Amino acid sequence: MMLALVRPDSWNFPLFLHVLGAIVLTGATATTLVIAIRAPTWRRLLVRTIGFLVLPAWVLMRFAGQWIDSREDIPNDPAWLGVGFIVGDAGLLLLVITALIAWWGLRRPERRWPVRAVAVISGLYLIALFVAMWAMTTKPD
Amino acid sequence: MDTYDWLLFLHVTGAFLVLGGAVMAGIFNFAALQRERPSEIAVLFRLARVAVVAIGAGMGLTLVFGLWLVHNAGYGWGQTWIVLALVLWVLSNALGGIGGGREKRTRELAERLAAEGDTPSQELTARLRDPVWLALSWGSGIVVVAILALMIWKPGA
Repeated sequence: MMLALVRPDSWNFPLFLHVLGAIVLTGATATTLVIAIRAPTWRRLLVRTIGFLVLPAWVLMRFAGQWIDSREDIPNDPAWLGVGFIVGDAGLLLLVITALIAWWGLRRPERRWPVRAVAVISGLYLIALFVAMWAMTTKPD
Repeated sequence: MDTYDWLLFLHVTGAFLVLGGAVMAGIFNFAALQRERPSEIAVLFRLARVAVVAIGAGMGLTLVFGLWLVHNAGYGWGQTWIVLALVLWVLSNALGGIGGGREKRTRELAERLAAEGDTPSQELTARLRDPVWLALSWGSGIVVVAILALMIWKPGA
């Protein structure tokens, strides 16, 4: 427990950026879910939210995370770190697919499936982010 | 997992709800500023109510499990970062509460105007761009980000 409480000062700034990126990513992903479910005709706002917030927040979260990882030099690649990498890296693929589908939905407003697909993928990614947050916070063996 | 891990997880979950909700509210408020039709503004303000629920739940979780964490981890109650965090928590709630009240009245005006012909209104535009309301809403979010910084740097720990 004390290891979690004591941290070199030089790790604080990258940790702040990592957590801030993860929070903005979570909030923006939740926003895409809310728009897709409750205001499915607002497709331009959906695309802009993904393009201007979700993807940049992912970049901040992922690169700041890598910055901390390079400083901490955690031995033996623990499971919690693996969960973080999987949710982060596989998440980018999901987010890019979501962005493409949302953009397609904007160009084809008569089709409903793109917005529904965005809702499903955003919901699944929110669950994955929650699991990653649990793993990164509690650091189970 | 021991008690500390669970408390930290629930505390951080609360922080994600507060700040994630603030991001969502910010997106909908920013989008409302770009609109003129009352019906569109009303839709955006109704969507922002999801964020308000998340922020309220998160504020409760951060406080309850934050205080429990201080006790469990053996931090001193007089440490600078803990005292500052509690003061900023109260300030953020006060700013958000006052801003939320103004937001509710703006939403009700937008809904009324939407029902009465849905034509752009100078009164609605003025309320949306009211510098006091904008300062309260965005200020509340900035205060919460400052609390996050305190939690990481822990000055005086």
